[in-house]
Amino acid sequence: MKLRKAYLVVALLLAASPLFLVLSDMVGYHEPLDLAAELLGLKDLSEEVNWTPFFDYTVPGLPPALGYAVAGAIGVAAVVLLGEALRRVLK
Amino acid sequence: MHIPDGFLDPVTAGVTYLVSIAYAVYAFRRLRAEKGRVELVTPLAAGIFAAQMLNWPLPGGTSLHFVGGALSGILLGPWLGFLPMFLVLLVQCLLFHDGGITALGANLLNMAIIDVLVGYAVYKLAPQRYKVFGAFLGGWLGITLAGLACGVEIGVSSQLPYGLAVTVPVMAGWHAALGVVEGAITSAVVSYISRRAPHLVEGGGREAA
Repeated sequence: MKLRKAYLVVALLLAASPLFLVLSDMVGYHEPLDLAAELLGLKDLSEEVNWTPFFDYTVPGLPPALGYAVAGAIGVAAVVLLGEALRRVLK
Repeated sequence: MHIPDGFLDPVTAGVTYLVSIAYAVYAFRRLRAEKGRVELVTPLAAGIFAAQMLNWPLPGGTSLHFVGGALSGILLGPWLGFLPMFLVLLVQCLLFHDGGITALGANLLNMAIIDVLVGYAVYKLAPQRYKVFGAFLGGWLGITLAGLACGVEIGVSSQLPYGLAVTVPVMAGWHAALGVVEGAITSAVVSYISRRAPHLVEGGGREAA
């Protein structure tokens, strides 16, 4: 069905994600928010207050590119689990 | 535009949390009463989550990834459209620390409320003949205003007296420029879906005409 097609698209996006990680690293990817924060001297405390082993889409023990795609799959699985729970609540 | 921990002062963090919680409560109440197309929430959330992982490798380095709030609003409307973005932002924050826990309220406000509402409204208002352009405009304006709101939030959080004067032009300007890509993706996805399955488009698909 249509919804199954949606998950095929998700799988393709995840498969392509390591390439985007490598390419965006090559061009020095940063967001406008990083520029604004730098101008104001705001300090990102994420690393100091971190609680998750998957920090910034990494998976312990895996090389960054592979870890990125695996982290993506873990994230999609979490989204689906929470989404299905939500659906039960709203039905 | 995920605001990390450390950028917001307690007042801004608190106020944006309250606004987002109020919106979430209202959206949940309406959805329980209305019985929307809840089965579409999970696949759309999964798709947006995966699409957000693809950082656009633009020359110069100042870039974005797809956000998807406007797309969610166009496809699911202002209340149901909140849910995919809520799921995405919650998982990103808790599992990957992408977006701070203190900034979750602000990130929800920007990407799950403002982006969703703007995308929905612009698409809905677009004349039937110009829906494809309406989706583009919704995607573009949604991310631009979300970026602007993000600039205001970090600007007022700053200790500097001129915080807003710095952050608002940077955030609104860059998001208006880069938001063209968001608009193009939003428009492409909406036009594909409205051709293949027009009943899936809430904000004025063909059946709603």
